[in-house]
Formats: sequence, structure tokens, C-alpha cells
Amino acid sequence: MSRNAYIARQREAHGRKAVAVLPIHHPKELLTALDLLAVEMWGPPGAPRGDGAGRIQAYVCSVVRNAMAFLCSGGADAVDGVLFPHTCDSIQGLATLVPDFGGWGKQAFTFLHPKGPERQSSRTYLDGELRSLARRLEAFTGRTLDAGRLAWAIRLHAEIDAARAGILDARSRLAAGDPELYALLRRGEWLWPEDHLAELRDFRKRFPDGAGRAGVPVLVSGYVPEPPSLLRTLNHAGAYVAADDFAAVGRRVVRTAPTAADPWEGLQQRYWAAPPCSTRSADPDARVNHLLGMLDRSGARGVILQVIKFCEPELFDVPLLRRAFAARGVPVLYLEGELEAELSGQTVTRIEAFVEMLAAGRAA
Amino acid sequence: MILRRAQYELAGRVVGPVLASLDGWRRRKRPPSGASRSSPFGPPLESVRKLKEIMTAHFFQARYADGAVPVAWVTSGFPVELLRPLGFHTVYPENHAAMCGVQRLVPGLSDAVEAQGYSRDLCSYARADLGSVITGRTPVGRLPRPDLLACCTNICQTVLYWYKALADHFRVPLVIVDTPYVYGKAEPHHVQYVRDQLEELVRVAERISGRRADPEALAEVARKAKEGTDLWAECLATGKTRPAPWTGIDGFFHMAPIVALRGTDVCNDYYRLLRDELRDRVARGIGGLREERHRLLWDNLPIWFAVREVATLLAERGFNFVCTSYTNAWAEAGARIDPRDLIASAADSYTHIILNQDLPNRLGILRRLSREYEVDGAVLHSDRSCKPYSIGQVDLKDRLASELGIRVLLLEADHSDPRAWSREQADNRLTAFMEGFA
Repeated sequence: MSRNAYIARQREAHGRKAVAVLPIHHPKELLTALDLLAVEMWGPPGAPRGDGAGRIQAYVCSVVRNAMAFLCSGGADAVDGVLFPHTCDSIQGLATLVPDFGGWGKQAFTFLHPKGPERQSSRTYLDGELRSLARRLEAFTGRTLDAGRLAWAIRLHAEIDAARAGILDARSRLAAGDPELYALLRRGEWLWPEDHLAELRDFRKRFPDGAGRAGVPVLVSGYVPEPPSLLRTLNHAGAYVAADDFAAVGRRVVRTAPTAADPWEGLQQRYWAAPPCSTRSADPDARVNHLLGMLDRSGARGVILQVIKFCEPELFDVPLLRRAFAARGVPVLYLEGELEAELSGQTVTRIEAFVEMLAAGRAA
Repeated sequence: MILRRAQYELAGRVVGPVLASLDGWRRRKRPPSGASRSSPFGPPLESVRKLKEIMTAHFFQARYADGAVPVAWVTSGFPVELLRPLGFHTVYPENHAAMCGVQRLVPGLSDAVEAQGYSRDLCSYARADLGSVITGRTPVGRLPRPDLLACCTNICQTVLYWYKALADHFRVPLVIVDTPYVYGKAEPHHVQYVRDQLEELVRVAERISGRRADPEALAEVARKAKEGTDLWAECLATGKTRPAPWTGIDGFFHMAPIVALRGTDVCNDYYRLLRDELRDRVARGIGGLREERHRLLWDNLPIWFAVREVATLLAERGFNFVCTSYTNAWAEAGARIDPRDLIASAADSYTHIILNQDLPNRLGILRRLSREYEVDGAVLHSDRSCKPYSIGQVDLKDRLASELGIRVLLLEADHSDPRAWSREQADNRLTAFMEGFA
């Protein structure tokens, strides 16, 4: 079922409004508690769908230019509103450009999450920002957010994260290929959370832990696993994603369940417990330690850094990550793309050569 | 420590000014070049000598700052008023990077960081600064090692990542003042957040400096900073007359004290001098150009390495940049500062910087400047290195043109990396733009 058909069915069957959500970090629990369907918009990939992209300079990342074109061309008309998290300067700019200067006439929301380390000031601010967003969403939906419903949504998303973590951690023991696995994980970007949880559980039934997976394990870090042929190429070359640090996937899997009785505090706990991410200005040491931990636990023998061109938060971390992996003697393949519909032949060759090198290293 | 402090004071109070005076004297001894006779520009400002003197002294003193006084590296939009009373010597990496840009040092510095894995797509200020840190190459002799890195996100998120890289390099505390972007109107919890962070900053700065923030000293610095921005605003406002007594390009260079020395007597004394000279030129009808035929607005940072060539190309046909949104930003910052409650008012003021507000606000500023300075056209510098300033310019261009009936050019370049600049293409575009006025 297409996204638009799914959105229509959710509206018809459950009376749910839908909100398009730009990358990356946002309190999805709030949307779920208010019976809002979140439909994430990572670009969308491929060539910009419409002339709107021309309203943003070509030196701005393709995620933002494509989103601009998509919104302006009516591509997201199936939803009722759009939410812009405070991911970077470019999304920040898009959040005023489209609603204020034309291209998006429906409701627009912002969620300005704090940057930098957890501090008393940022905790107080985050609480205020979460409650502010909740008030705006309440007005939008005409519903009242009650504590019980919010607590339920937090539990639901914690269960989803636990299921996603279980799958990601068991990669080397699952028979499923990466394209199939990521298709499942990324459906969580637009399915109603209960539907997504059901799919995750069904997947685990279909793919129980098995014998060790053949191929070269690699750690992949980047923004979003696009194009899908990246994963196909990787698998075809004889490697698989053993550890995931995609901003769209692994960096949003919270591995500690909230313990607070107060749901607002529970939201805070989940926010601060999320893995280190460049777009939240993670501490460099914390990010490196997190990735090295993933490397050790997964047994990955190489690292692929897949960066979207012009993405400043990610690009600034590249030297740090290169140094950290080099110090451990771990080979790194750096790929830079612009959400192309397909990998270039040159990139395919580089991936194949990288995997061959890793495989040869194992044999040696 | 005592010796170092003595060196620092001597460098700032005696040696720096003497060196600057000697340099000025040497320049004055040089015979005037023939080119100046045919220059399209009016007579140079006398204040330039003083500007060079104080900036030379400032950077010369900086060489001896570490070990003598606490040193903070700060972003241009950082509320520096809170650091001055604690005795910090402040260094502005953006200011330094602009100097690197003017002297075309950025490609070399950038090469050094690109070799470490930094992308050329990153801000050229950041690349220049990090390159300078790695290589030690700088046009100012030496930059003092920081004890504190102080970063405010009201100008961009880039500074956050840039300063994180600096903190990783120097292994010194990094204070982040995260200013939520203002869409429409700032929410109370947004301003409160900034206020809370400023209070956290004061505690960190007190610990590093070993001094307590004296409320009276804070108020005094705030008063001076407010006065400085008002004086700067008065200097800029002289551009409303015809002919404008200086050019917007002059303004780019004369803004150095309001950025780097805000809150000091040196800064305010300088702007009194400059204001008086500009007013005198207005009274005597002396223009920034020999013949001002068209008045333009410049939006975004300057193209530091080509600022003179762009200005000259335009000036030769009588086009003068009489106002710029960039220099104007420092004239507006002080309006909300209240010396009686520095922290609360700084939170409000520094949240409402031009780059931290939405596009309707930006359009309002451009509209107001266009009308007040009676411009016939505008050049919007689409700056590869400054996305927050550049996103929206395509729409701003169309709106300015249709609402005000002025000609507007979008000129793509970079504020300090000449590798992202094609002089021929730019000349062609600027020439075609000017032909439209005939």
C-alpha cells in the first residue's frame, strides 16, 4: 500500500489526521498520543519533484531542496500539517520559507530541540518546548492530551524501540537481507506505531535467530539509507550491515526504557537517552565511544560513512570519526551523495572494492 | 604570570599603538599612487588611520594574552558583555577568518583541514580558522590559546560544530548559548532558556577567570556596549544623505571594533571620531564616491577577497552601496540591552539577531533599509558559506523587486574562499545588472 493510500485509510478508518515530519528528532510520542499519524519526509529521494527546488540554492543539501520541491508541488497534500524539527540551519530556513513565502498553506509546526549537552537549562527548556508543541497539536486536533494517553504512547514507542534494537543487534544471526530489513525498519517512518510494532514482531517470528550470517560485517553511519541500491550493492558484494548508525534508523533507537512515573519526565528521559547524533550536537567523545562500542559488539570489520553533500552537522564529524577508526586500524569508506535515485557506477565499484579488501583482510 | 601580564599590558598600551603609528607613518610617507587620481572613490576617511591603529594594537596585544589574562574565543553574536568584566581577552575567529579572507589566505588554510577530512563544502570561516589552528599560520602573528570557547547559535548552527572541533583540539571548556530560532514571536520559554544559559555561562566564566561578576561592572560594560551600537548606528545613518559620505564597503571594514571591541571605551571613542568625520563630510557634501549616481543595498556578508574589486567595478559607473544588512545588524543589537538587567535584556537582545529571525522579519529589514536609504537596487550575495543568510534570498529578491520596484541581483560567491568565485562571471553579471539602470 502506498503512503497516500495508507494516510487516506487511517483518516477513513480512525479519523486520524496526518502530519508530514522533516528529519530528524521529534517527540513522536506526542503525535501518537494525540492520534496523529506522523509521516516522515526524508527528501524524498531522487530528482526534485517540482520547480520549488529552484527557490533554494544548489549548495543546500538535497534533503531540504527536495522537500521544498515536494511540498510546493503538492506532493504532501495528503497530510494536514507539517512539522519542522530544529535539525540544522537549512531545515530551520525551510520552516520559514515555505509557510511564510508560499508553497505550504496548511498548518506548520516547529520543534526546536535543544542543542548541546544535557544541562539544567536545556532540561527546563525541553519541557517547555514539549508542552508548547503539545498545546499547538491539541489545538490542531481538537483533542485534549491526557497523561494516561501520553504514558501509553511512551510505552508503545519504547516497545517499538526495544523490538528495533533486538533486530539490529541480531543482524549477524538473521537470514534476512539488508534491503528487506531496512524496508521494514523504514516503514516505521509512516506506519501507525501499533501497525509498525506488529510488523516488527511478525518479522522476528519469520526470522528467528539462526546460524551466523555469511559475509563481511560492516558498520554504516550516515543520514539515511538511500538509495536502496546501496544496501543491495553491499549485500551483493558480500557484506552486510552489522551495526547501524543512520540518523534515520539506529540513532533514533532509544535503548533504555523510561522509568519516570510522570509522562513528561518520561519524554525527557527518552530524549536524553537517544544515541549521540551530530544534529543534536553530541559530545565528540561520546559519539566516538558509542561508535567504537558498536564496532566491538558487532564485529564489524570496516566502516562506511555515507554523507549527504552539504550536510554540515554530518560533515563536521567526519574528520573525528576518521581519526577514531584509523586509530583502531579499521578501514573507512567515505561516500558522499545527493539522494540520487540510484548509486553511480563509480560508487558501486568503490563499495565492491572496499568489501573485497575487507574480505581479503579476513583471509589473510 | 606577572611577567606575562606585564608583557600583555605593555603590548596593548605601548608597543601595539607605537607599531601601528609607525606603520601609519610609513604609509603616509609613500608617494600617492597615480591610480588614486583616477579613482572613482571620494577622498579616503581620515579615521582609517585610527581604525588600523586600534585593531593592530588589539591583535598585537592578543599575542601576549594567554598566560596573562583569561582568553575566550567567541562567536560574533556572543553576549561578550558578560565576559569583559571578568577580565577576558576576547578573540573573534570570524573576525580573524575575515582577515584571512581579505589576504586570500583561505585556500592554503583550507587545504590543511581538507587533508584532515573536512569538506570544502563547509563554511570557509570555519575552515580558515581550523586551518590556522592546525598550521599556526595567521595574518596577525599569533592567536592566543583559549581558556574558554564561547559559542552562541544566533548566527548559525555552524558555529556549534566549528567550536566543538576547537574544543576537541584545545581540550578547554566550551560554553554553548543555544538561541531558539524566532518564528513570528519568541515564546517566553525560549527567552528564558537563553537567560538560564547566560547564568550558567557566568558561573563557568567566573570559575575560569577566578573572579566574581560584579553587577556594577556588568552594568557599565552593558552601558558601553549599548552606547557603542548606538554610535555605530549613527555612523551608518549618515549614509542616508545624498551623496552618502562613505560606501557600504567602508562599513565592512569599520565594523571591526563593534564586533571585536564591543563594550569598551576604545570602541566608543573610535565611533565618535568616525561619526564626527562622516557628519563633517555630509556637511561639506563629500561623498564616498566622486559621483554617486545610483544607490544600492548589499545583503549578506561581504566577499572579503574581492570586496574592493566589486566595489570599484560598480563605483566606476557611479553605483554606491549606501547600506548593507550585515553592518546594520550590529547597529540594531543594542536596542534591547538594558544595563539595569544585563542578563535578561541580553537574552532578549541576542535571541533577536537578524539571522535568528524568520524571513518576514528579514524582508521587513531589507524593505526598511531600502526605503530609508532610498536605494535604486540591491545585490544579494548568495553566500555558499552562509546558509542561514542565503536560504530565502531567491524569494527575497523577487519580493524586493516587485514590492519596491527596484532592480535586484543575486550574486553567488563565498565570503572568504576565492575558489568559489569566478571574477569574469561576476563582472558579467554585475555589468549586465548596471546596464539595466541606463
